[in-house]
Order: sequence, then C-alpha cells, then structure tokens
Amino acid sequence: MSLPAATRSVRPAKPRPSLAVPIGLVLFVAISWASLSEEFGIGLDIGALIEDFTRGAGILGELLTPNWNFLPRTVEPMLETFQIAVVAAVIGCAVALPVAFLASRVTSPNLATFLVDRSLLSVVRAMPDFLYALVFVAAVSIGPLAGVAALVMFNVGVVAKLLSETVDGVDTGPIEAARAGGANRSQTVRWAVLPQVLPNYVAYSLYTFELNIRASAVIGIVGAGGIGNQLFTQYRFFNWSNVSVIVVELFLFVFAIELLSIWLRRRLV
Amino acid sequence: MTDARPAGVRPQPPSRAPRNVGLVAASLLVLWAALTLDIDPAEILELPGGVSRLFYEMFLERGPDWTYLDDALEGMLESLQIAWVGTVIGAALSLPLGFFGAKNVSSGLVSTVVRQLLNAIRAFPEIVLAIAIFIPIAGLGPVAGALAVGLHSVGTLGKLSAEVIEGIDPGPVEAARAAGGRTLQIQRWGVLPQVLPEIIAFWLYRFEINIRAAAVLGVVGAGGIGFQLQQTIAFQRYALAGTAILVVVGATIAVDTVSGWLRRRIIEGTGARVTGEVVEQPELAEVRAA
Repeated sequence: MSLPAATRSVRPAKPRPSLAVPIGLVLFVAISWASLSEEFGIGLDIGALIEDFTRGAGILGELLTPNWNFLPRTVEPMLETFQIAVVAAVIGCAVALPVAFLASRVTSPNLATFLVDRSLLSVVRAMPDFLYALVFVAAVSIGPLAGVAALVMFNVGVVAKLLSETVDGVDTGPIEAARAGGANRSQTVRWAVLPQVLPNYVAYSLYTFELNIRASAVIGIVGAGGIGNQLFTQYRFFNWSNVSVIVVELFLFVFAIELLSIWLRRRLV
Repeated sequence: MTDARPAGVRPQPPSRAPRNVGLVAASLLVLWAALTLDIDPAEILELPGGVSRLFYEMFLERGPDWTYLDDALEGMLESLQIAWVGTVIGAALSLPLGFFGAKNVSSGLVSTVVRQLLNAIRAFPEIVLAIAIFIPIAGLGPVAGALAVGLHSVGTLGKLSAEVIEGIDPGPVEAARAAGGRTLQIQRWGVLPQVLPEIIAFWLYRFEINIRAAAVLGVVGAGGIGFQLQQTIAFQRYALAGTAILVVVGATIAVDTVSGWLRRRIIEGTGARVTGEVVEQPELAEVRAA
C-alpha cells in the first residue's frame, strides 16, 4: 500500500541562482585589481610599504615627540576654526531650511520647483568642500570669509538633503488637517510639517557643526583660514614636531565637540 | 446642570528657564563668533560679484577648455581609484572590528575598547592622516592617499557595522547555538546573513563620501584631481579649472546615481529587514552614529 500523494513530502525547487552576485563579485575583483595595479591604478605594493615603514620611522619618531612650545601659536588659528565652524553652521542651516522644503515632494509647490531644487542640490553636493574653498579664495581673497562661504555651501548640501528626505517621510495627517482647516501652503508647512521634523533638523544641524570642525582642517590648507593653514605651513617646512602638536590638538578638539554634541542631542531631541 | 470638568487647578506649565538660558547663551556664542571673526564687511559685498566673474571665466568666456579634458579625466580616475581602494581597506578591516564592537556579540569590555578606538580613528580627517602618517611612510602619491582614506573609513564603517550588528534578531543566533554551532559558525550563519545587505549598503555609501574626501588629497601631494583643481585655480587658468570642475561634478553625480540604485536594490531586493521596519538611509544612520 502506498501513501496518498499529498502526504509524500515534496522538496520545493531551489530558487534559480541569481546572476547578480557572481557578476558583482567579478566586477569587484576586476575594479580592485585594476585600481591596485602598477599599470592601471595607484600601484599599492605591501612589500614596498613595509620597507618604507623603516624609512618613515624617523619622521614618525619626530611626530611622537610633539614640540609643546609651539602650542601658544596654535591658539589663535584654532579659535578661528571654531568661529568659522559656528558661523557657517548657523548660516548654512538657516539657508537649508527653505531649500529642503522646496526639495521634498510633500511640501514643494509644483513639480518644476521640486525638480530644479533637487538637481541644484545634487550639483551643490557633488562639489567637495575644499573645491568651494578654492573658488571662494579666488573670488575674494585668502582668509576666513572664504572659509565661511565654503562651509555654508557644504552645510546647505548636507542639511537640505537629509531634511528633505525626512520631510518626504512625515505623517500626512496633520497636513490634511491643516488644509481642511483652510491653511495656505506656508501655514501648512509652518504648523503641520515643521513641528514634525524640528527634532531631526536640530540633530542634523549639530551633526554639520561637527563636520565643520573636521572640514576646517581641509579648507585651511587652501588658504581659507583656521588651523588647516598653519598645519599645511608646518607640514611644508617638515616641522614634524609642530605638526603633531596641531594634530593632537585637533583630535582633542573634535572629540570634545563630539561629546558636547551628543549630550546636546540627547537633551534636545 | 453640573460641570463635567472638575474645578481643579491648572497644572503649572514646565519651567522654560533652562531652555531660555540655553538659547541666550547659544545666541551670544554665535554673535561673538560672527563679530570677532577677522572679516572685512566690504569683502562680503564683493563675494557675489567675485563668484559670478569666476563662473563667467570658467564656463562662458573661454572655458571650459576641452583640451584639458584628458588631464582632468586622468586625475579624476586616480581620485576614484583612491576612494575605491580606501573603501576596500576600510570595509575589510571594519567588518571584524564591527563584530568585536557589538555588545551582543563580543563582551562588554572588548566592545567598549573597540568602540573608543573607532571613535578615536574617526576624529582624524583623511588629510591629517595623510600628512601625519601616510605621506611620511609611503611618500608622496596616491598610495598615501588611499591608506589615509582607508584608515578613516575603518572608523566610520566599524561604528556603523557594530550598530547594525547590535540590532539583529537574536533568533537565528539561538538556533545556531542550539544546533551546536561553534562561535565562528554562529557569527557566520546566525549574524552575518542578517547584517550583510545593510553593511554592504554602508560600504557603497562610504565610497560616495570617499570620492569627495579623495578630491582634496591632491593638494598635499597624495594623488588625484585635487592637484589639477588647485593648480588651475591658483594660477588663474580658469578655463582649465572649469573643465576639471565639470569632470568632478559629472563623475560624482554619476557614481552617486549608480551607487544609490545599487544600495536600494541590495536593501529592498533581498528582504533584509524581516522586522518590516522602514529601511534607514545610511546618511541618517551616520547622523545617529556620529
């Protein structure tokens, strides 16, 4: 007697193997190989690196003995870095607010505004911060103004992108309620959308402020003010013990700002 | 007729004093920063004119100068390679560190030590790592740049990976343990499949960021398009600079688009989130992790 067909266990067919994974792996290996190779890429050779390490040991030794007498001279540029970061974050986040609302489908008045704003935003985000610094230094002059302007552009890109995505995801209930209550577009944004995204906005603003402190090391190198300028000068004259003072200081500063920012975010958000 | 509402006393609204003090302090800080910054007000007025003059010279008057295209593309290719190699280094080193930094997988002490180490690495910008560590070791060139980008990526990727691993569903881990899996087998079959899609999405996102970070390295001699950008603008060859800027913007947007599409495919296409949560954008995760 045989069992009825239904109780005989039938193994479900295996899903067809997807081609995406092997193709992805092959591409990954090919691009990595090409990028690492001497001929097509940057030519990374582990053996040579280990050999170089002994050559660089002298410099690393100098870096490990910071010249603390240099410290007083770094105070003023460090302060300038902080000021640039503060001012740029405030202006950048203020500008980003309307830009973000125009770049979200939920709050943008029409498709044209939405598309134009989104495309402008992706161009703004595609330029690295130091490129802005280069352009603004060329447009006005060397100094903190170029730094502030560069970081403002950088911050608008970051905050507007993050905030517009948050606005995309808001609860539509309050918006409907505001419309039903006769609110016009700006009133809807003010009373139905803004309260929902305000905690995120605060978090993003603090986050960009942190980014700014780190970015200031970069923009100073091209002459846009702050500690980066001094870092680059000391580097060019191979004053490694002075370089390490700035590096240690920058590290502590970034760390302190991060702790402060985390604490503030816990309290505010 | 009775009043349904009890004639109670209205509760005191919570005090706004701490908030107001905080706001005043913050405003004072901003005012101080703005007023003591060494900026000539006249220069602020020059800014729009200066930028539009540059824009005109770069893209309208004589530029963009397409004879410079080959140089710009070569520099950009090197930047892309630096970003790629840096991301691969960062991904390879950060994955094990992510496991060690996750409280639910490693022990409390180890995870704290690893997390602090990752935080410390993250505090150094790529350019500082290049100047202070990798150019002295590897000499001028793209290798130093790639190593700097790689080390910084270890910091961010390690932290994000650890957070993803801490958020896993413990079920598969228990199942693997109940079936007699050894520690490594539990990680391989209980944890890794749950977190890999999201972690790969972070790697791709990091690649997008690293392209921007790699652009600057050329200025200090660590390879890439930064060198061309800096030279053309510093020597006022604006027609050439226009070409280089177009190449940077074009390549960055192209990579962002492809990478963004891939990230969405990887996260949504595999049903990675069994919990049905909304898939979180890597950008937002980065803010949270920061």
